Amino acid sequence: MEDEKNEPNEEPTTDNSEDVDADEFDDEETSRDLVVPGETLTEDTKTYLPGRGTIFNKDRTKIISLNIGLKQVKRNYINVIPLRGFYTPRPGDKVIALVTDKNPVKYICDINAKDRGILKPKNTVARGKPRGYRGGAPDRQNISTEKYSIGDILIVKVLSADRLNKPELTTVGKYLGKRRDGLVITIDTPKIPRVIGRSGSMIKMLKDLTKSNIFVTQNGRIWLKSEDIAYERLLIDAIRKIEKEAHTVGLTDRMSEYIKNEKKIRGMN
Amino acid sequence: MPLIIKDEYPEKLFREDGKRLDGRDKNELRPIKMEVGVLENADGSAYLEWGNNKIYCAVYGPREVHPHHLAKPDRGILRVFYRMATFSVFERKRPAPGRREKEVSMVITDCLKPVLFLELYPGTSFEVYINVLDADGGTRCACTTVAALALADAGIPMRSLVTAVAIGKIDGELITDLSGIEDKAGEADLPCALTWFNEELSLLQFDGKMDLDEFNKSLTLAKEALSKIYEIQLNALKKKYIEIQEEYSGGEK
Amino acid sequence: MMNIKRVISTIEKNYILSNLKKGERIDGRDLWQYRDWNIKSNVIASAEGSAEVSLGKTKVITGVKYDVGTPFPDLPNEGVCTFMAELLPLASPLFERGPPNEQSIELARVVDRGIRHADCVQTKKLCIKEKKAVYIIFVDIYVINYSGNLIDAGGISSLTALISSKIPEGKWENDEVVWTGKYFTGKTLVNELPIVSTYGKIGDIIFSDPSLPEELACDGKISISVTEDKITSIQKSGSATFSIEEVEMLTKKSMEFGKKTRKDLNLWQYKR
Repeated sequence: MEDEKNEPNEEPTTDNSEDVDADEFDDEETSRDLVVPGETLTEDTKTYLPGRGTIFNKDRTKIISLNIGLKQVKRNYINVIPLRGFYTPRPGDKVIALVTDKNPVKYICDINAKDRGILKPKNTVARGKPRGYRGGAPDRQNISTEKYSIGDILIVKVLSADRLNKPELTTVGKYLGKRRDGLVITIDTPKIPRVIGRSGSMIKMLKDLTKSNIFVTQNGRIWLKSEDIAYERLLIDAIRKIEKEAHTVGLTDRMSEYIKNEKKIRGMN
Repeated sequence: MPLIIKDEYPEKLFREDGKRLDGRDKNELRPIKMEVGVLENADGSAYLEWGNNKIYCAVYGPREVHPHHLAKPDRGILRVFYRMATFSVFERKRPAPGRREKEVSMVITDCLKPVLFLELYPGTSFEVYINVLDADGGTRCACTTVAALALADAGIPMRSLVTAVAIGKIDGELITDLSGIEDKAGEADLPCALTWFNEELSLLQFDGKMDLDEFNKSLTLAKEALSKIYEIQLNALKKKYIEIQEEYSGGEK
Repeated sequence: MMNIKRVISTIEKNYILSNLKKGERIDGRDLWQYRDWNIKSNVIASAEGSAEVSLGKTKVITGVKYDVGTPFPDLPNEGVCTFMAELLPLASPLFERGPPNEQSIELARVVDRGIRHADCVQTKKLCIKEKKAVYIIFVDIYVINYSGNLIDAGGISSLTALISSKIPEGKWENDEVVWTGKYFTGKTLVNELPIVSTYGKIGDIIFSDPSLPEELACDGKISISVTEDKITSIQKSGSATFSIEEVEMLTKKSMEFGKKTRKDLNLWQYKR
């Protein structure tokens, strides 16, 4: 079938670090002060304004934290970088979806968000005239949901998402589409930038040291594939360690040490 | 048929030495232990031991509403499910939820709502599952306290935490943090909770007899106790992160 | 109520199977290796007996309570031991709230049958007055965290809770039950130690103690309860089929596991 040939055969060898928020855990302006909901961040409301994850109190005499996270001061904004949280879809996000249901007119996918995502057949096929056509009626065949099955893992892009409608997805684009092998794990969404690291430093180190392909997406999911299961186990253990220690200093170096040590302990090269 | 040993309460609830039956002073809290992030499959979770009370709490949300007809188009809904295990009480409780559990669920729901921003999540549901595995008085207060922790652990934005405690009257004296026997055999029971962002009461119930003076004094005692319990909640939330930081910082900042 | 079943991804299922074919399980265990057991008894003050048991990350808390009631008409001098299980929503987003569903009923019944047919609980010793008053022993299993293989965890926690029990002793006097002032313990209540072993099957490969992804990916399971020398109950579930040779192999393995588990866990240490 024509579609099969157009399927991306290459595995995603680059991550989409340009799309993901900068690694705020590694930012100089992020302190290591742990704050919790309701905690006062400052009483100097003349100098500072409430930023991300913060709010004025009722009489605007204090700025308080809404989340459990790290306090950050950027210019005159006080922000809280959350350590726990859930994924909220935004247009343009690349995410990993699991097809959980389908009917003749759409696929329904779990994207680790409060709503399931909708993938319409027209968004699974690239636009453009099919070969051999010269004008004429559009091919009705793209109204079927034959292409994907329940249980498929797809890398998709969020087309639209708002508070009232379920997010709409597409598999048309570079590196998007069905993955036929590898493994997907899910971590805390706020920790995703930490897995990528400042300018991609963490993910590059992970890839090099564990000889793996890694694709990190915004909804807390990571697709990975290594040479063999020993590397995959090590990579997963490393990612879990990053998740647990995301709020500490010197993590990238420590992770590099950890992986090298583990390789020795586990008798890997 | 009645159980072989009857659930009887002693005449006096104070000992000869002036202490309460479990050895506490009038305004002493029972030992409280809290831990956050104990259930990996839930979005947020917490575990609490408060005296003999043992309680697990898990939060799921925001998620789709089941059944659909309960969904609200302009805001999210908060649902709390307070359930006691069959073996958590003296006489085995039937597994199905009873009227008391439904009432307590509702009271805790109303108590937690003021700290959440439900209007930001229309059409969704936040579910709080609280299971009491061992009960010994003041469970609705303990459950409110642990639920606030689980919500924070789930990363749901909150105006502040919520803390609860029960003040009571036994043998004519006002006491803090009623145990099971004191609750059943005492003269008054005042469970209450404070939302810290505005320092106002979001849970308030009363059963028994008190004059106005006693009632006002009770609220003062409550405030003192609540501040202490709040400290324990804050430490529980921060503990695991700070421990990890200390393990790896070795002085550098 | 909508059935929220977790769909396991095809790639994860393939991953598990392709590694199993190479003799590798995703968590590094051997095919016949169990995860670590962690057992604490007498954890619930309000219960007559209790146990908190973890098998890997699966965690179950079981409590024993008693009541006094009239016996069944066809067993006038025997007490009753009854099992219930609840899959708490806090254990997994797969568990819905509400009355017991098929999965929780199956858990309770499989644990019950394994223990009942081993004559484990001495129901004949639970009679206070023939035809009038007997003990009713409730064993209630609450699943706190679901990470695969609830049956084996349920079985061990039930045994431990029963062994750790301390139940007030009653006697019949003046047409009613009165307390003798003494208690009887798990030593009186429990006679045998039936051990249940659960196996998963994916494709052609069978393995012990399925973890969560293995359980969601498996085509079928089989649980076998044994005493020192007898099989006392078997339950096969799921759509997979097992050959006669496979079943014979598994019953033999279960006997070996049973002996080893009894020795390793030494459940009698939890008697009060």
